[in-house]
Amino acid sequence: MKVIGKGLSCASKDEVTGELVYIQTVEDVINLFDTAGGKICLIEDAGTTTLGPILSDLTGIVCTTGSGGSHLAIVSREFDLPCIMNIDMDIEDLTQLNGKTGKISTEEDNAGILYLLN
Amino acid sequence: MNLNKDLNYVNFITRSTPDPGLMGGKGSNLVKLAQIGVIVPPGFIVNVNSYKMFLEKSEHSEQIKELLRIDYNAKDVLPLSSNIKDLILRSSIPEDVLNEVKLAFEQIHENFGSEISFAVRSSASIEDSSQFSFAGQADTFLYNKSFEDVIKSIKECWASLFSPGAMLYLLQMRKKGIELSLLDIEMAVVVQEMINSHISSTLFTVNVLNNDKNSIYIISTWGLGETLANNIIVPDTIIVDKTNFEIIKLDIGEKEKKSIQNPEGSGTILVENEPNSRLICSLNEDQICQICKVGLKIENALEFPQDIELSIEKDIIYVLQARPITTLKI
Repeated sequence: MKVIGKGLSCASKDEVTGELVYIQTVEDVINLFDTAGGKICLIEDAGTTTLGPILSDLTGIVCTTGSGGSHLAIVSREFDLPCIMNIDMDIEDLTQLNGKTGKISTEEDNAGILYLLN
Repeated sequence: MNLNKDLNYVNFITRSTPDPGLMGGKGSNLVKLAQIGVIVPPGFIVNVNSYKMFLEKSEHSEQIKELLRIDYNAKDVLPLSSNIKDLILRSSIPEDVLNEVKLAFEQIHENFGSEISFAVRSSASIEDSSQFSFAGQADTFLYNKSFEDVIKSIKECWASLFSPGAMLYLLQMRKKGIELSLLDIEMAVVVQEMINSHISSTLFTVNVLNNDKNSIYIISTWGLGETLANNIIVPDTIIVDKTNFEIIKLDIGEKEKKSIQNPEGSGTILVENEPNSRLICSLNEDQICQICKVGLKIENALEFPQDIELSIEKDIIYVLQARPITTLKI
C-alpha cells in the first residue's frame, strides 16, 4: 500500500476502497452512469459540475484542485461521499491509475490521503 | 402603473414577498435577504409564470413539451438535452413577458445608471431548498449589457434546466427515491446589477469540513466567484471562531487564476493572477470580521445555518446568494 496523494478531506470521513477511474468529459460521466458503483473518480478542474449526477453511486472522489466550499464539495456532502480536494499527487499522468485499486482515508486535521493498493 | 402590483411575470427583489414556488429557491432567498437588510445587488426576478407562459405560447411549445415527457435514461441525455435546448433557444418569448421584463430593465437603469450591466442567474423551483441544493446544475450568465443580451441569457437559463448535468442530477435523485420529472421543474431567473467583484468569498456559518457549529468556514479569492464555485483554483481558506471572530486557521491558497469581465463582449474570461496577489490573503482581517457579521446576521434571521456567496466591490459587501446548508450532522 503506497501513499500517492494528499489533500483536503471535505465530505464524508469514511475510509473507502474502490477502482480508480479518471474522468475528463461529460461523455465519461455518461459512460459511467450505470457502473459508477465501487469507483473512486479522479478529476482535474474541468467538468466537476457534470460529475455531480453520478456522485451518489461513486465510492469516492479525488480532485487535483478546488476547495471544500465549491459546488462539487457541497454535492459530495449531500451524497455523504468521501471527497479529497486539492490533492497533491505523486503521479503526473492520471490515466495510469485507471483500473487500479485505491483507498481514501481521512487523518488528523481533515487531511485526505489517497493510497494505491495495487 | 404601479410597477409592483400590476406585474404578473416580474417581481422586484426589494419590493416582494418571498415565494419559492414563484421565484425559485435562489430568487426567494434573495428577497428574504433584502427584507432582513442585507445588501444584495438591485434587480428583479423573472418568475416561473414567465417560464410557464413561454412553454405554453412559444412557437415550438408542443415539440418541447413532448420531449419533456420522455422517460429518459442516462444514454438518452446528450441528444435529448441538445434537442430541448435547441428548441428553447429558437423560440420567442411571449410579448406580455417581454414587455414586463423591459419595464423592469429600464427601471433598474433609471435608478442605478445606464452604464451598469447585469448578471442573469437561474433560480429553479427545486434549487437552494433545505432538501437538495441542485448546486451548480443550472447556469449563470454575467456582464449582460443590452436588453437583447439579457433576454438571450434568460432563455439560456431556461435551457440550462435541461443541460446534461441537470438531467443526470434528476435521474440520480430518482435513484434515491425522489421522483422528479422534467415537467416538474420550473425556472425563475434572477436579473441583478452585475457586481464587478474585486474579492469573492463563500462563507459557511457552520464549519462543514467537520460539522463544528462553533466555527465559520470561509474560502476566498480575487475576482469573480466562479473560480470558487467551479473548483478552478485553490482559494484562501479561513476558519473563524464564531463566538469572537478570532481567526483559528488561515491558509493562503494558490489562487492561480481569476475570473474577470471579458473585455471584448459579454461574459467572463480567466486570467493569471499577479504573483504578488497570490502570496497574500484576498481578505484582510477587517473584511473577514465584516463578512462573518453578515453571515451571522443571515443565519440568525433565517434560523438555519447558511452557505453564503459574497462579493466585495469598492469596500461594499454584497450578498449574491444564501442557501441552507443541507448536510449538517450536528
